[in-house]
Amino acid sequence: MDELDLLKKSWNTTQPEHKKLSVNDIYPMLHKKSSSIVKTLFYVSIAELVFWIILNAIPLFYSDEYKKKLETLYQNDTILTVLTFVSYGIIILFIYLLYKAYKSISVTDSAKKLMESIIKTRRVIKYYVLYNLIMAAVSFSIGLYYAIHNDSNISQNIANLQTTQLVIMYSIFVIVTLLFIGIIWLFYKLIYGLLLKRLNRNYNELKQLED
Amino acid sequence: MKTELEHSFVELLEQHQNIAHKICRLYTNNYDAHNDLFQEITIQLWKAYPKFRGDSKFSTWMYRVALNTAITLYRKSKRQVTTQDYSGVEFKIKAEDYDDTEEQQLKTLYKAVHKLNDIEKALVFLYLEDKDYREISQTLGISEVNARVKMNRIKTKLKAILNP
Repeated sequence: MDELDLLKKSWNTTQPEHKKLSVNDIYPMLHKKSSSIVKTLFYVSIAELVFWIILNAIPLFYSDEYKKKLETLYQNDTILTVLTFVSYGIIILFIYLLYKAYKSISVTDSAKKLMESIIKTRRVIKYYVLYNLIMAAVSFSIGLYYAIHNDSNISQNIANLQTTQLVIMYSIFVIVTLLFIGIIWLFYKLIYGLLLKRLNRNYNELKQLED
Repeated sequence: MKTELEHSFVELLEQHQNIAHKICRLYTNNYDAHNDLFQEITIQLWKAYPKFRGDSKFSTWMYRVALNTAITLYRKSKRQVTTQDYSGVEFKIKAEDYDDTEEQQLKTLYKAVHKLNDIEKALVFLYLEDKDYREISQTLGISEVNARVKMNRIKTKLKAILNP
C-alpha cells in the first residue's frame, strides 16, 4: 500500500482536531469583512483611478491667471479640446473594463480559471497606469512646447541660452521625467508583487502541468 | 433579523463544516490561522450562496469554493509560514522520526503532506476525500491526464520525503 492510501484510510475516520462549530458560532461569521486579494485589488484599483483623475485635475486648482491662460489655449485649439474629451472617454472605458473584469471573477470557477480572471483584472489596471504614464509624458512635452512657443518670456529666455545650458536644461527635463516614471513603476511593482506573489506562483504551477 | 437564506446556508455549513476544517488544517499551521481561513471561507461561501442552485450537491460546490479561497483568495497573515515550497533537502524528515508503528507513520505522513506546495496539497486533499480524477481536474482546471501525472509525482515526492 502506498503512503497516501495509508493516510486515506485514517483520513475520514479520525476525529478532527478543531472543535465543531455550532449554528450560533457561524451566524456572526457571515457579516465579517472579507480580506481576500480580490477585495484588496479592488481597493487598489479604485485608488489608482482616483489618483490619476486627481493628478489630471490639478491644473484646475491653479491660480486664476493660469486658468485663464488654459481657457484661451483651449478656445484657440480644437485639437486640445478633442484630446481632452478623448482622455475622459478613455477613463470611462477603463472603468467599464475594470467593472467587467471584476464581474468575471467567480469563486465557483475552477482554480485555474479564477486565477486567470484575477490576473486579467490586474492587467486592466496595469494598462490604465501605463496609459497614464504615457499621457503624462506626452502632455508634459506638449505643455513644454506650448510654453516655449506661446510664452514670449520663456522663448526669449531660451533664445538667450547657450548650447551647454540648453543641453543641461533638456537633460534635467529628461532625468526628472524618467525619475517620476521610475518611482511610479517601482511603487506599482511593489504593490502588485507583494499582493499577487502567491497567486502567480500557484498559477505557474498549474500552467506548468498543462505544458 | 435572520433571513431564510441565512438560515438555510448556516444549517448546511454547520453540517458540512468538516470540509472547511480539513482544508484549514492542511493550509495553516496554528489555531489562529485556522480560524482566520475558516472565517474567509465562510464569507466566500456566503457571498456565492445566492447563486448556488442546488443542481450540484452542497458539498461538491463547497469543495470548490473552499479550495479556491485557500489557494487563491486568502491572504495569509504574517504569523503563518506554510507557503514555503518543498525542497528535497530542507524538508527531509529525520530517519529517527520514522517509526514502524502506524500512528507514527501517519504523523510523519501528515507532516510530509504539510510540506507540499499549495497546488499539491489541493490534489492530495481531493484524493483523500475520495474524489475521482474527473472531479479533481474540473476543480483545479487542468486535464484529467495531467491530474493523474501530477498525483503520481506527488506520491513519489512523498516517498522521497519519508525514505530519505
